Amino acid sequence: MRRRLVATMLSYAALALLALLFVAPVLLMMAGSLKPEARVLTEAGSLKAFLPGNWTLQNYRDVFARVDFARYLGNSLIITGSVVVAGLVVNSLAGYAFARLAWRGRRLLFTLTLAILVLPLEAIAVPLFYQVTWMGWRDDYLVQILPFIANAFSVYLFYTFFVDLPPELEEAARLDGAGPLRTFATIIVPNSKPVFASVAILSFLGQWGVFIWPLLVTSGERVRPLSLAIATFYTLPPLQWGDIFAFGVMMVSPILVVFLFFQRWFVRGVVATGLKG
Amino acid sequence: MRLRTLIPTGALFALPAMAGLTCFVAIPFLLAIALSLTNLHLASPLPVAFVGATQFVRLFEDPAFIRALLNSLLFAAVVVPLQTVLALALALLLNRPLLGRALFRTLFFMPVVFPLSLVSVIWILIYAPGPDGMLNGFLQFISLGHWQPRDFLHDPVLALPAIMLTSIWQGVGFQMVIVLAGLQNIPEQLYEAACLDGAGRWQRFWHITLPGLRNTLIFVMLVTTILAFRLFEQVQIMTHGGPNRATATVMFEAVQAAFSRQQVAQGAAITVVFFVVVVAVTLLQRRLSVQVPREASR
Amino acid sequence: MASVGFIDVSKRFADGTEALAGIELRIEDGELMVVVGPSGCGKSTALRLLAGLEQPTAGELRIDDEVVNDMAPQQRNVAMVFQNYALYPHMNVRRNLEFPLRMQKLPADEIARRTAWATQLLQLDGLMERLPKQLSGGQRQRVAMGRAIVREPRAFLMDEPLSNLDAKLRVQIRGEIAALQRRLGITTLYVTHDQVEAMTLGDRVAVMHAGRLQQVSAPQVLYERPANIFVAQFIGSPGMNIYASRLQRTDNGLACAFADHWLDLPPDGHANLVAAQAHIDRPVYIGLRPEAFARTDVDVETLTMTVKAVEALGHEQLLYADIPQVSGENTAIRLPALPMIAIGDRLPLAVDSRRIHLFDAEGRAIDGEQA
Repeated sequence: MRRRLVATMLSYAALALLALLFVAPVLLMMAGSLKPEARVLTEAGSLKAFLPGNWTLQNYRDVFARVDFARYLGNSLIITGSVVVAGLVVNSLAGYAFARLAWRGRRLLFTLTLAILVLPLEAIAVPLFYQVTWMGWRDDYLVQILPFIANAFSVYLFYTFFVDLPPELEEAARLDGAGPLRTFATIIVPNSKPVFASVAILSFLGQWGVFIWPLLVTSGERVRPLSLAIATFYTLPPLQWGDIFAFGVMMVSPILVVFLFFQRWFVRGVVATGLKG
Repeated sequence: MRLRTLIPTGALFALPAMAGLTCFVAIPFLLAIALSLTNLHLASPLPVAFVGATQFVRLFEDPAFIRALLNSLLFAAVVVPLQTVLALALALLLNRPLLGRALFRTLFFMPVVFPLSLVSVIWILIYAPGPDGMLNGFLQFISLGHWQPRDFLHDPVLALPAIMLTSIWQGVGFQMVIVLAGLQNIPEQLYEAACLDGAGRWQRFWHITLPGLRNTLIFVMLVTTILAFRLFEQVQIMTHGGPNRATATVMFEAVQAAFSRQQVAQGAAITVVFFVVVVAVTLLQRRLSVQVPREASR
Repeated sequence: MASVGFIDVSKRFADGTEALAGIELRIEDGELMVVVGPSGCGKSTALRLLAGLEQPTAGELRIDDEVVNDMAPQQRNVAMVFQNYALYPHMNVRRNLEFPLRMQKLPADEIARRTAWATQLLQLDGLMERLPKQLSGGQRQRVAMGRAIVREPRAFLMDEPLSNLDAKLRVQIRGEIAALQRRLGITTLYVTHDQVEAMTLGDRVAVMHAGRLQQVSAPQVLYERPANIFVAQFIGSPGMNIYASRLQRTDNGLACAFADHWLDLPPDGHANLVAAQAHIDRPVYIGLRPEAFARTDVDVETLTMTVKAVEALGHEQLLYADIPQVSGENTAIRLPALPMIAIGDRLPLAVDSRRIHLFDAEGRAIDGEQA
């Protein structure tokens, strides 16, 4: 009995220590964003890094004064939102087509889709860049949205989910006279909330932070998303860490809030990748 | 005339996704292969010509590229086992019914939600040189003053490990959650049976937990490996490949070649090499894991 | 080989459920004791307490008269066969059998000897290299048993080992388990919800309900002299029919009320007339097993029943009939297969009054002794 108590206490101690180490950078950012600029650097080396002391919102005001933060945020929302929403439609239809409909070439195309899973964005970023440039496309929303809508991994997740649905649902719909599209929209989709949630979250998570692509295809601020903007802000003189932290806090807050509220779905989405793997 | 009789519904449903994948994934990939066999150099007056494997030969004679390749391999070789072991340790700690378990899980998973570009910027300050840098301060504290402050990101020996630490911090939560789910899939009865059979804690871990986690761990390592080779943001933002290419990675070099130096063909060639390496490592990992037997028979 | 004892054992779970209350049970060395009861009665909990997988809230657990409450499961040297077998999925049959022996760090030749012995005993030859997922349910069950016997444990604990098998297989393996236990002579605690298994397997049977022991006896005693109404209705398929009744003194002795008749209680029947004296003019219950009824043509003190349902079993038929003067559930009656009865038939049936069981108002058998 006592052994168990000791083991539990040790676990707690280990967890607490690790948790602190993990959360330290985040606290640094949050506290630093609230400090007067002069103190951010000087206190970074000590425990005072985590205590704001005299709170001030000056850094936040500075960010808005120096750059068009709202524009970056808007860009990120537009781009990520479009990719996620369009992706849900496009990839779920394809996943369903592979899982449940019979058509020529299904097996071949599915194998090819799976083969694509191995290709990360980086493997094709460079040639894709040339491709879109040659097509005359640059520096706008579309070039940041369109290439990411179709996603082999999302198709695969939808496929594995739809394959496990009981076929009776569709059979009943068919007997009731519904065509495939109506069956999909009114029967399958409402019964597939878990996979839609997982894919939405994973795709949001993936798209919100995409860096290399906007780096390649955008120039100037007009359509620049937050993920790129933080890096350019960092290089924008003068180097004010307080401002940078304020930028960071504002940049990560939306997704952090979504995460805290929908944690269970986040975790479930991540686990879905693991179980299918 | 009904469209449905001409084209099967399934094909129509799959069309947008297939078109997208073809246009934005398959074709660029083939284009990369094609380009890598040319000498396309955007700033060069030379006409474009087919040069066969010349680009690849040039690559492997370029010490900068070799360095980048080795860096990528080294990075993967260190980060994959470390991150996996850490994810396993965290998952094991969280697998007991502790109060506040959900809170801990949230805290460990939180860095995953942060965009890598933001993570890179924050850690620049953590790695700041001088005693004011947070990591320097911390190390000085726990070493009771013996630690000499270092400039991590400009130190040819410490720069790559610094990036490794940043990457592990950001990525371990993701793997931890997957391993935790795998742990919870192991039936409790197996542990009970092993208990009655006389197995102690370590033996239960070795004979029940690890075999039960085998597929999960393989998957986790595979994903981490692929992610490790994709390393780009941290290098671009924190060290820009330096000092002296100590942190240059394959992807970084690809972007450098194609954009800074306008050497399109070479950039494409590096991309192709990247793909080949990833596939090779993936296959190697899968082969190795299939051969690792279940309890080896006598 | 050891005796096993529960001394006033109770178990209350963290959420307040009282799984066991004051269990007193002693299993002799070499005995096969079956603990039977409906789901949730606490029988599996009792098993797990003995294995050391749970801790009792109160009371002592003894193996061979040694208190083992504080002993870890690894040290108790008891073997358990789980309901789902709990075979190690990544080990083949051979490794599964060898595992407990390796944990005990036995020398290699001893391990080989015991494994071979168990393999031969349970007819596992030819399956040794297979993984559990490649085995049928019955084969897995035997491997689970093999893993238990290689250890030569002090006791076997079996947690509903047959529930996952289909009916025919269950009967076959039931017999094999009984034969094996007799041959090895290892003290066995066998838990099941199936009273047929209990009756056929046990040297003694302990009936449990809501965390308490109802009766512990040999199977036949359980059948003929149930200690209370629960046992009477639980044992036997279908269980005993129970009716509210009263006792009355007659010239010859005692009579009980049943369906507007007074049935004389013979002195040589199940009813204990001496003990019953104390219950005259108090509410009691009487019980009649389905075979206590018989067809009769003679118009002698018969009851006429309307048949509501018939189950033809080939060698006999089970009728469920409504006795007009008796309220409550249908009466179950067992009759020979022919002549076949149809639903709606009105049957004259006589009661064999020697087979009337008496229970007091609290449901306890009126037989002058405690259960």
